[in-house]
Amino acid sequence: MSAILEVKDLVKRYPGFTLDQVSFSLEEGKITGFIGRNGAGKTTTLHSLLSFLAPDGGQIRFWGQDMRAHEQAIKQRIGFVSAGMNFYNKKKLRRITAVTRSFYEGWDEALYRRYLSLFALDEDKTPEKLSNGMKIKYMLALALSHGAELLILDEPTSGLDPVSREELLEIFLNLADEGKTILFSTHITSDLDKVADNILYLAGGKLKADCSLKEFTSSYRLVEYQKESLPAGTESLLIGERRSREGFTALIRTEDAGRFPLPARPCNLEEIMVHMEKEA
Amino acid sequence: MLLKLLKKEWALCLHPTSWIMLGLCTLILIPNYPYGVSFFYMTLAIFFLSMNARENHDVTFSMTLPVAKRDLVTGRFLLCMLLELLSLLAAGLMILLHRVLVPVPNAAGMDANLALLGEGLILYGVFHLLFFPAHYRDVSRIGVPFLTASAAVFLLIVLEIVLCHALPLFRDVLDTPDPQYRGAKLIFVLLSAFFYALATWLALRLSQRHFQKLDIR
Repeated sequence: MSAILEVKDLVKRYPGFTLDQVSFSLEEGKITGFIGRNGAGKTTTLHSLLSFLAPDGGQIRFWGQDMRAHEQAIKQRIGFVSAGMNFYNKKKLRRITAVTRSFYEGWDEALYRRYLSLFALDEDKTPEKLSNGMKIKYMLALALSHGAELLILDEPTSGLDPVSREELLEIFLNLADEGKTILFSTHITSDLDKVADNILYLAGGKLKADCSLKEFTSSYRLVEYQKESLPAGTESLLIGERRSREGFTALIRTEDAGRFPLPARPCNLEEIMVHMEKEA
Repeated sequence: MLLKLLKKEWALCLHPTSWIMLGLCTLILIPNYPYGVSFFYMTLAIFFLSMNARENHDVTFSMTLPVAKRDLVTGRFLLCMLLELLSLLAAGLMILLHRVLVPVPNAAGMDANLALLGEGLILYGVFHLLFFPAHYRDVSRIGVPFLTASAAVFLLIVLEIVLCHALPLFRDVLDTPDPQYRGAKLIFVLLSAFFYALATWLALRLSQRHFQKLDIR
């Protein structure tokens, strides 16, 4: 599989926070979920990829080309959506689209119309008249209509209702089937459980995991227990103990499950993340 | 690509007050007025344009477009230069009208003549040098760069008024009604245009360099 994006030793320093030598790559046609708690450095990473930020070190190569040297050509092949974006509140969508369209060689007007209809967007409205969810849908319509081969999405499902989220996840799966590559950060990890092939997990500016979702989730098991029923000597196996209504929960490594005397069940991304963050 | 950027700037960033500022070229029709001030209003239009762009998060949107980061600066320069060109054309028209409607010399500085266009070019060049590189260090900062650049523009206007009374080249040659000394005034305009081009080029390079290093959040 060829690497669509290769990030090597990416460093960005702020007072009190450092994105510390983050390295990963994306494979063609895969959906990669980018997770981590608030302030972990996800947006810093995504913004560094697209030159919003000037990194203090590292290499960013899309399709084998250096971003700084080939920024214009690379961005023709990328669609970017960020939930926090908010622009031209008084301009009609029609006008914003007309400008956007003029920049893309591969703009597909029929596809754009289809997304407008799917997302129930009215081009005569201005962004200030749209809810946050509708704004994201509009940005997605723009990003999906110019034949982007790589979609970089920063919290694209936040603010969307469950039906819209499901629709969007279905679109992502279809796009991946067409060979498009998707990198998206989200706090709604259940979305990733449904669609992601791979996971990047960032904590405190460091990349803690870069593997397939299956590998990531199968590496851990969740145990539920009462403190008093916990056999002696097993505490060291527990990762990120948390209170729950019934007692306590914690992760254990799958390879330790045989040695652990209590039942352990498979866990999802959210359960892994919250326990690992507690451990950190 | 630059044409597309210019269209984007025109469609999404241009502030409506730009047309009012352009209309203030009619100040050239007022007798005994420091006509250089009419060019200041176009720099005020650039201030409003920059503010409009900031309030509409233009940079964030533009960064998602298939454009090199530094070219976003070029797009803004192009729009500003276009506005300035329009203001010079309007000023030229007002100068012609002034000859017909108010055929008296100006006691408050440069006459409404060909050399006035040269003054406009110098003022715009100085404004570019002081405003844009400071603004592109941090695109959220517009006030201080504008105040600094405006102070320089007003100082130059005062200097021009003083020179028109004190320096023979200005008093006896440049500050005279057209068509007197047309050749000398034309040379002055050409030299001013050269200065404008040089200052703008330098301002563009510095602004691009600053913007390239800027973190957009």
